[in-house]
Amino acid sequence: MKKLLLLALAITSVGVLAACGGNSEEGFDTSKNITVYTRDTSSGTRDGFMNGIGFGEASADDSVLVDGFVTNDNTAILTAMTTDEYGIGYISLASLNNTVKGLSFDGVEPTVQNVINNTYGLKRPFNYVLRAPGDYDSPEAEAIANAFVAFLRTTDGSDVIMDQGAVALESSDTWDDIKADYEICNEDNSGVVIRFGGSDSIQKVAEALSAAFSPKCGDFVAEHDHTGSSDGFKRTQGSEKDGDNAKHVGFASRPFKDTEAGVEGTQGQLAWDAIVAIVHVNNDLDSVTAEDLKKIYSGEYTTWEDLLSE
Amino acid sequence: MNTNTRKKKRVDQIVRSIFLASTLLSASFIIIIVIFIVMKGITPFITDNDGLGVVNIWTFLTGTVWLQGTAFQSNLYAVGFIIVNTLYIAFLSLLLSLPVGVLTALFIAKIAPKRLAEFLRTIVELLASIPSIVYGLFGSGIILTFVYNLAELFGVQSKGGNSVLATVLVLALMTLPTITAVSEVAIRSVRKDIEEGSLALGATRTQTNFKVVLASAKSGIFAAAILGIGRSLGEATAVSLVAGNAKSGPNLGLFDITTTLTSTMLQGLKETTGVDYDIRFSVGIVLMIVILLTNFILNAVKKRVGNVNVK
Repeated sequence: MKKLLLLALAITSVGVLAACGGNSEEGFDTSKNITVYTRDTSSGTRDGFMNGIGFGEASADDSVLVDGFVTNDNTAILTAMTTDEYGIGYISLASLNNTVKGLSFDGVEPTVQNVINNTYGLKRPFNYVLRAPGDYDSPEAEAIANAFVAFLRTTDGSDVIMDQGAVALESSDTWDDIKADYEICNEDNSGVVIRFGGSDSIQKVAEALSAAFSPKCGDFVAEHDHTGSSDGFKRTQGSEKDGDNAKHVGFASRPFKDTEAGVEGTQGQLAWDAIVAIVHVNNDLDSVTAEDLKKIYSGEYTTWEDLLSE
Repeated sequence: MNTNTRKKKRVDQIVRSIFLASTLLSASFIIIIVIFIVMKGITPFITDNDGLGVVNIWTFLTGTVWLQGTAFQSNLYAVGFIIVNTLYIAFLSLLLSLPVGVLTALFIAKIAPKRLAEFLRTIVELLASIPSIVYGLFGSGIILTFVYNLAELFGVQSKGGNSVLATVLVLALMTLPTITAVSEVAIRSVRKDIEEGSLALGATRTQTNFKVVLASAKSGIFAAAILGIGRSLGEATAVSLVAGNAKSGPNLGLFDITTTLTSTMLQGLKETTGVDYDIRFSVGIVLMIVILLTNFILNAVKKRVGNVNVK
């Protein structure tokens, strides 16, 4: 009995040790299956990715995807790609680091420069939405919200956006050029609270923007509460616009849906966010096309051989 | 004298009403939460969900694919396979954590020298108070890699380690301290005379510990198991980090990706609207029923197992 126990113990400990140190050194085995990682159907990144690779029907439909895909969030997919040699996933360009390999898309490297010059194709818009004109708790809040949106389109605004890893739209005016149009910014607004919300993908960018703009506009107080793209419209002009979570400025990291059409002139784009397909650093693959990615995600390619032998 | 008694009585009454008030407060919160979840969760089954049509309860409870068709345009939700997964995972994690937990408890309560027992008890309490996200991060950082390499060792290509096994390991780790702490109390409260009787009859310490002490404490150990299984059934954050969040199943292979009721509720909760949002509350109702039924059954079993006069 005792011997048996000892034997079992020895076997398990050997197994555990081997498993801990067993990272194979044999290089990339192309006969292995591709493990597909994706975001959840409600994710804006997924929407941007699927539409970007011409597989729009998969943006909110799991049943068209290959069997046995793994669903996880941005960070979890990034970490998974440091472990899983045979996985493929996608993340925001801003999250990309050198622990994984970011794939070129249609031959264009995933860099900020390539998004600005509009050669890198895999990207999604960052949009804002304001409350309907006149539907603010104070005229000061409305004026500041409008000034904020004007600021987004200045070179000062785009500098802040670029600093945060997103890619700003083209702009030519500086804030100094246009600030005369916004008298509210000459007043002391330290008692005015502006509430920002919506997409959490945009949170970092939005916080940096409000932090940069507040000193330029009477030191208004910015409150950020980012809970997801759907809340961007819902909490400014939708069902929760008068609730406890009501916002002055909402954001969405995807195009607004038909059901989210607001009052004219209250919605617009502030930046691009690029999405990048990632694999393990040991993977032989360096570049993919939209077609490749579609074939991987739809299950037409099941092993790495299928893709690399093309 | 008389006034003194009256004063005491009044104080007594005041204290009693304070207790009553706080009881009512905590009890009413539970009722409010249940009512809120039931009201939200029942809407997909009684309204037409903005034109999508009523969700069929039968297919919802028995189906094997979470959502057929496009999100926001389909009402074909199902949790049947997820119920199976959830119970399967809770059972497996208990299978791991119960023996280890009980043996640890036995060691702390009966075998370890006093100083060491004290020290170990503190550690167990500390482990029990670690928030689940920390276990989740540990799981996704260490256990996923471990499982991925383990699978490779067996010649299986796992999905980055996201699997039933990883989930079970994380949950076993999380329930271990609860099970240890509760069964340790049960073991300690076994009456000394039973133990001494056994020793006096010539049984060895080990025989006494296993055949008398554990047998006498089995009711308390069962209570520990019930608490443990409750924690595994209800854990969301840590599970969703290591499960792989399968969308169809049931998933019974140890290296298959999986999903549980709670992790399904959590996925995309913050980014969704309409029926896709409400349906998560329906999953919540299912979860509450599953937990209630499990507890009910386990309690019935516990009564039948019986106990030897243990406090």
